[in-house]
Amino acid sequence: MVTKAFKDLAILNAAKRGMPHERICFTPHPVWGKTPEEVRAYVEGPDPVTGKPLMKEIVDALTVPLSDDEKKSGTVNVSVGPPTFTDTADNLQEFYLNNGYTDFLPIVLPTQEKIDAMLKGTSHSPDEVVGKMAAGAYPAWSYTVRQVAASAVMAGCRPEYFPIILAIASSGTASLYSSTNSFAFAMIINGPIRDKLEFNYGIGALGPFAQANATIGRAWTLMSKNLGNGGIPGDTYLGSLGNNLNYNNVVIAENEDASPWPPFHVQRGFKKEENVVSLFRGLGVVPGQVARGSSANENVQFDYQLSDLFSTFTGFFGALIIADPLVAIRLKEQGYDTKEKLIDWLYKNTTQTVKDYKSRNYSYVFEYPRALRGEEPWATWYKLPDDAVIPHFPRPESFNIVVTGGQTNAYPQAGNLSYGVSVSIDKWT
Amino acid sequence: MNRRKLLSLLGLSPALLAETRAAAQQKSAGKAAAPNAGAGKITTVNPKGTPPPIQLIPMAPRLDTLDGKTVYLVDTGFHGSDVLLHQVEAWFGRNMPSVTTVFRRKAGPYAEDDPKLWKEIKDKGNAVIMAVGH
Repeated sequence: MVTKAFKDLAILNAAKRGMPHERICFTPHPVWGKTPEEVRAYVEGPDPVTGKPLMKEIVDALTVPLSDDEKKSGTVNVSVGPPTFTDTADNLQEFYLNNGYTDFLPIVLPTQEKIDAMLKGTSHSPDEVVGKMAAGAYPAWSYTVRQVAASAVMAGCRPEYFPIILAIASSGTASLYSSTNSFAFAMIINGPIRDKLEFNYGIGALGPFAQANATIGRAWTLMSKNLGNGGIPGDTYLGSLGNNLNYNNVVIAENEDASPWPPFHVQRGFKKEENVVSLFRGLGVVPGQVARGSSANENVQFDYQLSDLFSTFTGFFGALIIADPLVAIRLKEQGYDTKEKLIDWLYKNTTQTVKDYKSRNYSYVFEYPRALRGEEPWATWYKLPDDAVIPHFPRPESFNIVVTGGQTNAYPQAGNLSYGVSVSIDKWT
Repeated sequence: MNRRKLLSLLGLSPALLAETRAAAQQKSAGKAAAPNAGAGKITTVNPKGTPPPIQLIPMAPRLDTLDGKTVYLVDTGFHGSDVLLHQVEAWFGRNMPSVTTVFRRKAGPYAEDDPKLWKEIKDKGNAVIMAVGH
């Protein structure tokens, strides 16, 4: 039984998993928040997709003999169409747009000439399999260096950007995900490649002010659509509101020289001279211009500001501090001479009551089941009284810090974003 | 959109209907009309990755009747699934009292497997209804 809103998803995902004729019955949507009496009316009423009585349909699904199609076994190859398309440039733009290959912005058409130029950006063979990607709980698609090059060209990337694109592709992380939550994704770029490719990590670091920041982020979304089959509304994308950050994601080149702390990739075990891309997933980024002192106030309390922000986030995802160098330098002056000290303070001082924790959507769906099988800290949290005070995030590792920006003012931003993986860019040169 | 059209969008239907691969490719190129070759035109590559083949799974044989049978009602853990399945349980009690229902919440978050429960259902049950709320 599935609610009507997920009809296409249920049918298509069953098919992808080998059951194209799975017997699925539908109830009205939503069920969440309805009283037992309201849900009883659903159960006693019709299936909103077929119009037939729902419970008769369910009983029939369990008792009507199988058709020949339902008994089929064997292997079915799924086609994605011919390897090339030929038409005028204008018609091809329209064709790519109408077939869901784009982000609905104009693209650079991936001609063989442009693909060949992009392939010169790496020493890897065009036919090398880079990885697999799935935009949710679906069977993953695979792709070669050549197939990755197509999305890189379409996004407007230069060939010298290609190793970063390949590093992202090799992670298998899609930047479009099928959750109803409308996830956002972010990447941190570290290493000398930031200067070589002219990433912007100064004024307007998170804005549309550099080709590398703009097109590499866009390529991640185009790869997620084309290589991971993501971003098909109703099928592989269910975000109710969607997320504007999905156009080119949050691309953060760290301002390593201006930061008072070690850069992010060094914290993850890489050498400073290595080039690394680190990926994050979560719900988005919010501004940090909040209470507890302004930037002009010598007593400005960035630690409390950040804690205020993070207390409004879901602890299911992580907390990413995106600090302008002025913020980071001030925090260091206030005693946080290491990132670890700041993280320890935030972990201990960003708190909630058990009652509030249990009321949260993510707690019931994702963490309560883990508590039931004894996973900590959730097992302990669910045993505590409602008025007990617990950390807002499950562990200190939920927090991460990156420094970027042009030092025109001391403002942080905060991401409700979890760290996923760091990948060497150098391996793909 | 009906199931046949949905499966066609997946590039599945032509293959399932045993058409040739060439025909399947021609049809599954997309929603828009396929571009046309000719003078003054350019050629571009298909940007899609490679989907895995689908291994068809024959569905389990159906029961002759539910009378006297045990039906498991499995809650995947989404909000409202439990309320929905308890109403299904109540419906069986009112309308098909010879059916024994067993309610279970699947272990772990919704996307995780629960082999222990699947074994219990195979050992003790005759059918299963799984429900997601939301």
